[in-house]
Amino acid sequence: MTERKTIAGQDLREMFSAAASWLEKSSSEIDALNVFPVPDGDTGTNMMLTMRSTMEEAFRAPDNSAAGVASAMAKGALMGARGNSGVILSQVWRGLAEGLAGKESFTTADFAKALEQASKTAYKGVSNPVEGTMLTVMKAAASAARDQVDIGNEDIISVLEAVVEAARDSVANTPLLLKVLREAGVVDAGGQGIYTLFEGALRYLRGEVELMRLRKPQIIVSEIPHTTPLPQTAVVDEVPYGYCTEFMLKGEKIDTEAIKKRLEHKGESLIVVGDESAVRIHIHTLDPGNIVHWATKLGTMHQVSIRNMDEQHQDFLEMQKERVPTADTAVITVVSGEGLNDIFASLGAAVVIPGGQTMNPSTKDILQAVESAPSDKIIILPNNKNIILTAEQVHSLTQKQVAVVPTTTIPQGVVALLAFDYEADFKTNTRIMENAISSVKSIEITRSIRSTKVNGLKIRRKQPIGLLDGELIVAGNSDLDVLNKLLDKMEMDKAEIITIYHGEDVEAAEAEQISAGITEKYPKVQVEVVRGGQPHYNYIISVE
Amino acid sequence: MPVKIVTDSVSDISPEIANELGITVVPLNVVFGNEIYRDGVDLTTEEFYRKLEKCQALPTTSTPPLQAFIEIYEKLAEQTNEILVITISRKLSATGESALKAVESVQKKCRIHIMPSQWAMMGEGLLVIAAAKAAQTGAGLDEIIKMTERNDSRLGMRIAFDTLEYLKRGGRIGKAKALLGAMLRINPILGIKDGEVFPFGQERSRNRAMQHLYNFVSGYTNIELMAVEDATTSDEADALTERIRGIFPDVSIHRSKVSPVIGTNVGPRVIGVAVLGDK
Repeated sequence: MTERKTIAGQDLREMFSAAASWLEKSSSEIDALNVFPVPDGDTGTNMMLTMRSTMEEAFRAPDNSAAGVASAMAKGALMGARGNSGVILSQVWRGLAEGLAGKESFTTADFAKALEQASKTAYKGVSNPVEGTMLTVMKAAASAARDQVDIGNEDIISVLEAVVEAARDSVANTPLLLKVLREAGVVDAGGQGIYTLFEGALRYLRGEVELMRLRKPQIIVSEIPHTTPLPQTAVVDEVPYGYCTEFMLKGEKIDTEAIKKRLEHKGESLIVVGDESAVRIHIHTLDPGNIVHWATKLGTMHQVSIRNMDEQHQDFLEMQKERVPTADTAVITVVSGEGLNDIFASLGAAVVIPGGQTMNPSTKDILQAVESAPSDKIIILPNNKNIILTAEQVHSLTQKQVAVVPTTTIPQGVVALLAFDYEADFKTNTRIMENAISSVKSIEITRSIRSTKVNGLKIRRKQPIGLLDGELIVAGNSDLDVLNKLLDKMEMDKAEIITIYHGEDVEAAEAEQISAGITEKYPKVQVEVVRGGQPHYNYIISVE
Repeated sequence: MPVKIVTDSVSDISPEIANELGITVVPLNVVFGNEIYRDGVDLTTEEFYRKLEKCQALPTTSTPPLQAFIEIYEKLAEQTNEILVITISRKLSATGESALKAVESVQKKCRIHIMPSQWAMMGEGLLVIAAAKAAQTGAGLDEIIKMTERNDSRLGMRIAFDTLEYLKRGGRIGKAKALLGAMLRINPILGIKDGEVFPFGQERSRNRAMQHLYNFVSGYTNIELMAVEDATTSDEADALTERIRGIFPDVSIHRSKVSPVIGTNVGPRVIGVAVLGDK
């Protein structure tokens, strides 16, 4: 591939023109990702419309210098910016234009500098910058360009490759930084938009025009496990989002800082950007009238838009329902311990209700979870014999079809969930999951809470005891002692896989020792150690 | 003049079968850095996995150039006046679009019909083999199209994976993204449904994953065509084939390898079964 050391205005325009068309192809998928700051499902559309205006103006640039085109793009972006993401995007172009000021054409060093400026300007435009958004992705992109220039890379294409790679990783990482994304199981929509633009520009420079015509941008999938909000937090839905209020203010000597200060506490997601003669204002507020009224005193108002976000949110919820991958039947499960929570979520449980031994959830808790799950057919895994009955009460309280698969331990819950057949119907799945229960033996190791006599065993208070499928059958001197006694009573020649979930009070090293002991005794068995983080039980062990 | 059958390299049919049945295979491309290899032509499956182990940046793939289709159409049009092109699912690749677009540029008089399937790998391969067999016995184009449409809904596939990393990187993970990020060691069992990758199960060990494939095949009452394919573990695939032969002794089982382009998207240690039949 040939090296490109400089880029002039013409190519700058063409590459982002191509990038804008590339973005346009995935705008509806980006809409479906949108959950932050408000799940209204319009980020892709907003970025696309902003880019259209950006590029229309770019073709009206006074000359073909890089500086001329970039500043035309910045002007077009400001005039056409829509929504939160559009306004931030317009700041990116403005920063880029500042960085390229006076340049006929630009080198990799100029490009890195301009991206840094773009990132800085984008952060400045937002009154309360949040990480895990398009700002973060922009910063990562700029810093990747800087790193390349620092090691002496003079080839624009390969610098842009590094930028795209960094943006992709940054997008994939957004759910780690922003809880709402993790809960929705998506990456940040605005970040995805930024990544798509850079990727489109890169593909153009690589000459992949034909390919861009035939293909679509990929939505980045994050590996970070999807955690569904607990039903207690489901009420968040009832908080009104208010009105998304946007307008352009034109006048003389407008003081953007003063406007920012004045509006800071009038709503959420405030953005004030522009210069003395033209300012774009974006805010989510419960009282748009007040703000509009105040603003008319500062200058003339243009492109006024006030949208009801609660309506938008409803549309978004509908859209989300279509997006959820296997929504025919949703599985709800009761689990305590952070590790176990993540494990069940990662294996496909739609909602994880916190609870278990000594903290049984109420019927209402389970009902809320059923109502919040993204399906009309629900299978509940109680994972505890004291919760089965509570779960069964839900039948009569909901319109949804509900089945309880009576798992009494965590290992039973895991095998039942793993047996879930994504293609089978509700009844079949209920049967398959019930049948799976018997394929596993559950060991639970805990401490006796009092001195007692059970099954002919004399047990001291706080003594380590072991349960097999819920029945107390051994007591011992240590967890390891209890485990060995239990394993001696089982038909271990048939065992294939042992999974050790260690509790909140157990160090990982201790669990590893136990695992090593098992491997030594039963070398053919595959042993896996996972942190369950459950209370009360030092070890929950499944033998399959 | 018998109908000529054309397919793409991701149908994973072996060169021997292609040769025997007169099937023309159009290669997609595997791209390692600046080097472009034609799938299965410049690079065998074994060579591909050796390169994959050593390469610094993972390879990418691309559709065949329009010209490749045009040349093949032109050449075949001298031997026949009916061509059927069966391609990979549209949701997995733009190859079908290229195949279609290329038809406009063909000067010679010839009827060329493009059928993007709902499948890839040997699922697509079995459709192609069935079509080619019908063509050999003198069936006309319309007849073969009708049969292939019927066959499309009689196909089933299951593929055992060790990791979903490659599928995710290639952006073709489809509905199987539900299985990403599992915090227990699992062997995902995927297949294709409505033209895209779909999760069919999760097994806790390789043994159980093989058992899953076996159980899937044993659920059929009548099998017309069948294939077992592997990436890097042919011994394991051979053992599975033998077990299946035990329950379907009269069915001939096509053994093949995933093509390098498929390999780019699925990674090593994948084993798949494809069945054309009735449950």
